[in-house]
Amino acid sequence: MNLLPLVLAAGDDAGHGSLANAAIPVATAAPELAWLGWVLALPAISACLCGLLAALRVRNKLPAVLTVLALGTAFALILKVYLSRGPDAAPVIVHLWDWMNFSWGEGPWKSFQADVSLYLDSLTLLWMLFVTGLGTLIAVFASEYMEGERGPGYARFFFGVSIFLLAMSALVMADNLVLLYLGWEGVGLASYLLIGFYYQKPSAVAAAKKAFIMNRVGDLGLAVGIWLIWVNYGTVEYSALFQAFTEGGGAQGGWDRALIPFCLMLGAFGKSAQLPLFTWLPDAMEGPTPVSALIHAATMVTAGVYLIARMQPLFMLHPDAMATVAWIGGLTALLAATIGMAQHDIKRVFAYSTVSQLGYMFMGLGVGTAFGAAYHVFTHAFFKALLFLTAGAVMHGFAGQLDLRKLSGLRRVPGFGVVCWTMLLGSLALAAFPFTSGFLSKDLILVQAFSEPRFVALGWLGLATAGLTAYYTFRVWFRVCAGPVAYTPGEEAHGDHGDHAHHGHADHAGGFHPHAPRLAINGVLLLIAVGVLLSAVPGYMALRGEHNWVQEMVYHSTAVRAAGVAHVTTPVAFGLDPHGLVTVFGIGLGLGGILVALWLHLLDRRMADRLRTALRSNPLTGWLPTCMENKWYVDQIYDVAFRQAAWITSHLLHFFDRHLIDGLLVNGFGRLPMMMGRLFQPLYNGALQGYATTMAGGLILVLAWVAWRWLGAGGLA
Amino acid sequence: MNTAVEMATATATATASPAVTVALAFSAVLFGIGLVGFLVRRNMILMFLCTELMLQAAAIAFIAFGRMRMDLGGQVFVIFILTVAAAEAALALGLVVLLYRRRETLSAESWQELHE
Amino acid sequence: MENTTHAFPPRAMPSSEALASAPLLPWYVAVAIAAAGLMTVLKAGRDSVRRGGAVVALGGFGLLMVQALKLTRAGSGDLTTPFLVAFAAIGTIGAVRVITHPRPVFAALYFILTVLAAAAIFLVLAAEFLAFALIIVYAGAILITYMFVLMLAHQSPEDEIGRIGAEDYDRVPREPMVAVLLGFFLVAALGSVIERVPTLTREAAAIGPREAAFERAEALQRMPQQLLAQARLQDAEAVALAADDRGRVSFMQGETLQVRIRTNAGEIRVVTVDPAASVDNVQLVGLDLVARYPASLELAGVILLMAMFGAVVLARRQIELGEDERRKAAGMAGMVLDLPENERGGA
Repeated sequence: MNLLPLVLAAGDDAGHGSLANAAIPVATAAPELAWLGWVLALPAISACLCGLLAALRVRNKLPAVLTVLALGTAFALILKVYLSRGPDAAPVIVHLWDWMNFSWGEGPWKSFQADVSLYLDSLTLLWMLFVTGLGTLIAVFASEYMEGERGPGYARFFFGVSIFLLAMSALVMADNLVLLYLGWEGVGLASYLLIGFYYQKPSAVAAAKKAFIMNRVGDLGLAVGIWLIWVNYGTVEYSALFQAFTEGGGAQGGWDRALIPFCLMLGAFGKSAQLPLFTWLPDAMEGPTPVSALIHAATMVTAGVYLIARMQPLFMLHPDAMATVAWIGGLTALLAATIGMAQHDIKRVFAYSTVSQLGYMFMGLGVGTAFGAAYHVFTHAFFKALLFLTAGAVMHGFAGQLDLRKLSGLRRVPGFGVVCWTMLLGSLALAAFPFTSGFLSKDLILVQAFSEPRFVALGWLGLATAGLTAYYTFRVWFRVCAGPVAYTPGEEAHGDHGDHAHHGHADHAGGFHPHAPRLAINGVLLLIAVGVLLSAVPGYMALRGEHNWVQEMVYHSTAVRAAGVAHVTTPVAFGLDPHGLVTVFGIGLGLGGILVALWLHLLDRRMADRLRTALRSNPLTGWLPTCMENKWYVDQIYDVAFRQAAWITSHLLHFFDRHLIDGLLVNGFGRLPMMMGRLFQPLYNGALQGYATTMAGGLILVLAWVAWRWLGAGGLA
Repeated sequence: MNTAVEMATATATATASPAVTVALAFSAVLFGIGLVGFLVRRNMILMFLCTELMLQAAAIAFIAFGRMRMDLGGQVFVIFILTVAAAEAALALGLVVLLYRRRETLSAESWQELHE
Repeated sequence: MENTTHAFPPRAMPSSEALASAPLLPWYVAVAIAAAGLMTVLKAGRDSVRRGGAVVALGGFGLLMVQALKLTRAGSGDLTTPFLVAFAAIGTIGAVRVITHPRPVFAALYFILTVLAAAAIFLVLAAEFLAFALIIVYAGAILITYMFVLMLAHQSPEDEIGRIGAEDYDRVPREPMVAVLLGFFLVAALGSVIERVPTLTREAAAIGPREAAFERAEALQRMPQQLLAQARLQDAEAVALAADDRGRVSFMQGETLQVRIRTNAGEIRVVTVDPAASVDNVQLVGLDLVARYPASLELAGVILLMAMFGAVVLARRQIELGEDERRKAAGMAGMVLDLPENERGGA
């Protein structure tokens, strides 16, 4: 095991220290690992089979079984390859088959190679482990959750899930940017299909479109970035690319080279729902809850983080790009937290929380700790998936009711104990309660931020956001799971086939019985809760300065240069060094948030309403609740700025096309012969002398021409 | 051909008989007047009369050129012009009479059916 | 007699400088003036304006004549020039009246005037036969036919019995502007050619008679009886003593024709015949017609025959169809038997 230079010399506040020029590991080919192609093939096969089952209108749970089997096997394969290699093995490239491989000349820029090959380094495996693991677990959860849809819808759902896993695997395991882009687009497609699963709901369809279109905007940035990379470095394959990064020549080389990280950043922001492309994620909650859990919490939205982590060497050559990433991450975190505080739909709250936590991850990348960011991804995947699944269980049991004003005290409802206690665990992690996984991962990021003078403000921002996070998280828990038992069932708007007996039983007296979750749901919740607990371990070890598994994984990947965490001992504020600062304020603000939530939402629930009314009536603060409730009007701004502008433009162009091009040019040309005909028609009026005039005119023209030629030729020559 | 070239390169003794040039000018003028008359008059018979004017102008031109070239072919051709003029006049007038009987008017504008 | 092969002396062509030197602009200006005048005559409402236009037209015509005369060598044909110009003017005036007179019969009469002027010019151009042929055929035959038809197809209003013509369609010209414009362009184009016509290059005074003599001598040689008669006039005895035709040989000498006769006694006598006095234009034309264009002559006959057939067919068809009503309505009821009654068709 290599010794990681975790502890740096005192007084060195650079934070990067000796890792800044660490060597990026060089990859070798490993054709013996070609069986890893099954990781891609298995979801593909499962997708095809699910599609077939959908066409055949099978009404049992076979699609779920197939998907779970496929994903489980993929997870097993990944596990196997991880165990056989260990975290410190060198990266390998597994070439599966040729895809784009052609050259048109000699020399560096005259060939293009982008094959279906897998680039396996520890970063890849880190990601793949929790992608496939959580994917399998959530597929199991969904097998019970989506029971009401048995039939073509059920199969369609698992088709979408399989497609998603296929694309995500391709994205993470790709060995070149083009395959990554393929996976990128694929997850966007799967997300669209799954958000719009309830396609008969107009809001779901609109949300799916919104997600796809916003992702497209980001994808444009990514595509341009890939193109610029090729133009500047002559290759899109990781191995050659990282070699080029190592050899320097990064910062210099023109404006287009400096533009690359910004373009890639745009793609990442689109996929990971950061400013300004974040409004699709809350709307994506229209999809079924397993989808929200898997795709929009744990896996797909981390694709942006993965991209930047993968391209870390490139980003580190451009400090401005890093700062941009960090600031956008921090601002997004704060903004999303404020919006989350004012939402009533549980899933919406969690969605904004996801956006906020993703902001933390980007902040981590930007301040220079890919380890911190990757670790936060890792922990967040577990506890956010857990939270979403618990919300799904609540929805499942209460006929689609998700308004936290209409649910209370579910802790004491029979059958919902597991749900509530796991939700508590997840909330604690999210709120960064001391020594939970979330606390440890946030700690790493904020410490890094405070370690660098230019990011100190960001650190304070992160701390403030942590306090807000704690508040809104426990607002949900105290409302839903604590307090007196009271619930109103929803309208079970989910479920086209309406298996009424399933979503809550109405007895003959007209009362409503909640539908308690069964083994599949409870089991998965428990498993993931265990994962939440276990994921704190590496953080402990990092805290104590020991090597830990996640850091090893990041260190031995291409993000090696950002694998360290600075331990700066000089005081930053209040006489505390960064670590102490974050600990003190983090714990303080976190506990404070929880206490405020306790006061407003458990002890005296009406206080929340009174506070809100007080704030609104006061002209100084009146705008605050309104803006927060209305999501800072971002959607409306976008509507005016983009949709309306596009609408106006489209009408202008339509007018242009219709009247100028069609009317003037096309129809005009059509009318031209007619007009010419009408122009000459009076000549053919049948009058003899009219014809004679024309003939005489022609004759004279000929005569004049002949005379002209005759004169010109010199007469009778 | 060689003689023509020789002739062309020889120096000019540019003289002309006034009879020829005046006759040619007169012929041109007469032809122009005849054309104008043909296009201007509405009476069918007078239209043909102007045609005759044009023929006569042609005859004058033939005679003039014949005189210039000292070639009797010009005069001979005028005989043929006279022949043709007579034949044409006879037939044309016969047709005009027929047309007149249909419409009882000699106006050429009463016959306009042959149009688009 | 044999023809001595002779060719006319080669014509000297004018050089390009001579061609380029004759200016065209005055011609165009003159034509423009004449056209303007003509247009005024055609379109004007009042008589005074019309007369003014006529004067302008005449002025233009005069300028034209001046231009034409400029092409000539000074001193050649001085005596005939005023006559030429006068005849051309008369002919032009007649033609203009043809196209502007409101009454058709008068137009035909003015046409006769033009024909007479043309005939006069023919005379000056030494085409005597054709001058009179023109008068006979044109004025005497064609124009009479026109007059006949004009009077046949008259449509005078009830209250003006006997007046033929002056209908609307006779009085008001049809699109005079376009027509005059076309006429202008035509005459201008023709004129530009005339200005450049390689002019007669030999001395008219010197060559004309000589060339006339040439062609007459040539013609005379083809008319042996005539030649014989002429020779007999000069020296009857010698001719009587001629053995046979083969003993006579003729050839040109100067401007006379020498006939060398070998008498039966072997003696050679020369008789001089002046061809200019012995052959006239009619004979020349006739000889040329028959000798050089026999096929055309036949064709001309065929044309006339066809014309006759056509006329008969046209006339016959009308009667054969027996459209009595139409004939009555046209005032032609019973052409053969009936006198034209007052059944003039309604207009």
